Amino acid sequence: MDYFLLGCLLFVIGGLVAIFFKGNVKGISFLLFEVAAQFLILPTAFNALIGGIGTEKLISFSEPIGTAAFRLDALSAFFVIIISVGSLLAAVYSIGYLKHYDEKKYSFSSFYFFFGVLAASMLLVVVVQNAILFLIVWELMSVSSFFLVGFENEKEEVRKAGIYYLISMQIGASFLIAAFAWLSSLTGSYDFNTYKNILGTQGTVSIILFLLFFIGFGTKAGFVPFHTWLPRAHPAAPSGVSAIMSGVMIKTGIYGILRIILLSGIPEKGLAFSVFIIALITAIIGILNAISQKDIKKLLAYSSIENIGIIGMGIGLGMLGLAYNIPIIVLFGFFGALLHTLNHFLFKSILFYGAGIVYQKTGTRNMEKLGGLIKYLPITSIIFLAAVMAISGLPLLNGFISEFAIYLGMANSLSYNNASLNILMIIGFSGLALVGAMALIGFTKLFGVTFLGTQREKFEYQPKEANALFLIPMIFNLVFVFIIGLFPATIIQIISGVINQFTQTNSTTEFNAILTVYYSLSKGLLLFIAIFLFFFLIRYFLLRKREIKNFKTWNCGYQLESSRLQYTGSSYSLPFLELVAAFVPQKTTVETGKEIFPVEVKLKTSQHDFVERIFIQPMLKYVRSFLNLFAWVQSGRMQQYILYGLIFLVLILIWIIGVR
Amino acid sequence: MLILFQIFILFFAPFLFLGLINRIKAIWAGRKGSPILQPLYDFLKLLKKDEVISKTTSLVFRIAPTFNIAAVIFAFLLIPIPSFGSTISFNGDFILFAYILGLSKFLMVLAALDTGSSFEGMGASREVTFSSIVEPAFFILIGTLALLTGQTSFVSIFSLLNPSAGYTELIEILFSVALFIMILTEGSRVPVDDPNTHLELTMIHEVMVLDYSGPDLGFILYSAGMKMVLLSTLAANLIIPENLSPALAIIFLVVIISVTSILIGIIESLMARARMSHVPQFIFLMTALSFIAFAVVIFFIRGGIR
Repeated sequence: MDYFLLGCLLFVIGGLVAIFFKGNVKGISFLLFEVAAQFLILPTAFNALIGGIGTEKLISFSEPIGTAAFRLDALSAFFVIIISVGSLLAAVYSIGYLKHYDEKKYSFSSFYFFFGVLAASMLLVVVVQNAILFLIVWELMSVSSFFLVGFENEKEEVRKAGIYYLISMQIGASFLIAAFAWLSSLTGSYDFNTYKNILGTQGTVSIILFLLFFIGFGTKAGFVPFHTWLPRAHPAAPSGVSAIMSGVMIKTGIYGILRIILLSGIPEKGLAFSVFIIALITAIIGILNAISQKDIKKLLAYSSIENIGIIGMGIGLGMLGLAYNIPIIVLFGFFGALLHTLNHFLFKSILFYGAGIVYQKTGTRNMEKLGGLIKYLPITSIIFLAAVMAISGLPLLNGFISEFAIYLGMANSLSYNNASLNILMIIGFSGLALVGAMALIGFTKLFGVTFLGTQREKFEYQPKEANALFLIPMIFNLVFVFIIGLFPATIIQIISGVINQFTQTNSTTEFNAILTVYYSLSKGLLLFIAIFLFFFLIRYFLLRKREIKNFKTWNCGYQLESSRLQYTGSSYSLPFLELVAAFVPQKTTVETGKEIFPVEVKLKTSQHDFVERIFIQPMLKYVRSFLNLFAWVQSGRMQQYILYGLIFLVLILIWIIGVR
Repeated sequence: MLILFQIFILFFAPFLFLGLINRIKAIWAGRKGSPILQPLYDFLKLLKKDEVISKTTSLVFRIAPTFNIAAVIFAFLLIPIPSFGSTISFNGDFILFAYILGLSKFLMVLAALDTGSSFEGMGASREVTFSSIVEPAFFILIGTLALLTGQTSFVSIFSLLNPSAGYTELIEILFSVALFIMILTEGSRVPVDDPNTHLELTMIHEVMVLDYSGPDLGFILYSAGMKMVLLSTLAANLIIPENLSPALAIIFLVVIISVTSILIGIIESLMARARMSHVPQFIFLMTALSFIAFAVVIFFIRGGIR
């Protein structure tokens, strides 16, 4: 544990040291500390994850924190590994990414410093088990990431997004503060271990506490309707930061929810139902909005919401398994949730890295202006394609493995004779299929429009393939995308320690049953690859002596080549969006001049986030009108403020005299 | 025996299926029609041809048809042959079945976008839109079967589907109709799509593969036929009773696959393609049927909500 804490410290020191250097040395010095930190953190974490050797350290702080416990169990270790590796990869990428910026105009020092603080605070969030210290590192995480989001703070949209993000985080944190305060008053202690016997046994209070925690952590994770900060903050942040925020940071919200479930014991059936339904809605709303986006990073941000929904479905499924006492569903549910957490980190980081490369090489994130990038950025495009297929949950890649677990968990619970559970499961079953089908629309749009076809607008300069600093983190993640996708049984065994924490009873038989399923799945996938290679060779031999002519795309006799004839992203997604127009409202405005002869006409379409419109905005309106009642306090007139001072002094005087 | 039969299906069934549809349409129109094995001759001819590939395209365009044919053949190995069982079977194999077909669809759609043609973009856009309706319905359907039998793999589901349990006939009829709608949608047949022309702006599947030629087009032709054979085999599994002798079961299977293709031929002779805006309504029929079947299982077989 000492090594672990030292590792966290190294992240911060790296950020501090980087302040004193300039140019290339700055990034490299930061990186050295980050790499050193890995050697301290990862062995401890792997010991806890695989060996099941949890560690604990108690450190005394001054009041009000008191004695704080740092505990590293399998669950924490699982997240520690994601956070630690994810931060290192994002740091490598960011060094390359920042070269694009002018060092005199932008503060690289603060970037590296807050990057280090963010990594360290995320690591601490998953090990600190003292309510007050937890809230402190939680806030530290929000604040440091706020500064990272605001890196390009000369742009107004970035400043706005940053403030919106910070306020959302504070609202979420206030729920956590309330929950922890209540809980601590029940137990008289800040240590998480003491909550274990209390949290699940208070009847209604337990439910309210769980909801408070769920809202607090859910805001960080991005559950609907608390998701509105993601599509704002992710596009505004530099891509390395988007990758770490989406791939790693929002997972601390998932960690929080899982930790609360561990502390609560067997959940109420109603709670399990609600979590499952909210997660399903989150997944559907997330991907619906993703389809309608033009901005690559906004699309990715909405797809993060979708994936959080899928993780949430796994969690909900596991809770249902606990509530109904069906061990196999507990295993499938939590395994699906945990593995999807890891998987989402792997492919979403690649996608954000790739989006950053596209942005730097072309100067735009609007996919309607792009196209044909696969010819300029071949390596990036192929890696991006694999990640896009993984996030769509297609077989051979890792996304399928975790979704498969959730599907199979739902299918298994169908054999359990309880009508309300069955109905919920069939809704989840078809709902997840719907999410999968919609992901197919969204991600074929993203990849097809950005990388395939021909370029829609002329690039200012020819885009060139990204250098190694960009590609190394992507390739690193890609390797794991394939390993998990093809040999899932290995990863099940690795994270079995975490899953077993959630099962209340010994469930070795069920665990072995799951392993058998995944062994067969693995064999099936390898057979598929064999069939594919067989046909690949047939095609190769058939065409070997044949002539392959390159010619224009067949446009049904139309000869003029024009990239403007291509389908755009908006027209591609239009037929689907018309089907679901009630949930993704589109506003189209046409500006025409009122002349006799035709003049230039402008057409503008914009989408709204349905949930934000019907839920968040009215709520903000009420809050604002309530707060307006107190607006007279701040009038801006100097005389009034002097009056406040005078009243204050008089009151003090009265109080002193009165007491004496 | 099983392997021989499977090889027969893999080599001939997709072409016979397509040939039979064409023959039925010819007879209905008073023509003599091409030989039933004409699609096979076309296929063999295509394999021997050169290819013309668009300059706009990339690697994705080249590998998509190969993935497509591998996916349908793999999917066929997942589906049980009545009274024999399937080559690969494990819990949750139907999820892999749906997703492996999704994988091939994903790549074919990307290949269409790869050509940079507005026609193919349009076809791709419609293909994914309709599949987003079919997928959830298919999962309700399979989920209902899992609910009915308490099993999670194709083989065990179909072996426990007991016709004497009451209401099973009703469910079988609902499912067969739902699967038939899925065949029409996935196979791009009337009223969802018209495979005869590819220049009409309402085309879906045929327009997506405009730029293919040679062996790649052959692969696509094969996959299109195989996809329909796949889904009719699935329907046959529902209908054929489990305790038949192997020879009888295979004859039954062949009959059902032929009847499916004849039905498609008749529908294509009698109906026009639906207006594009009406197609989703037609496919939603599948969702509705699956839901009715689910409700029947929950309320009448499982005894309702307690």
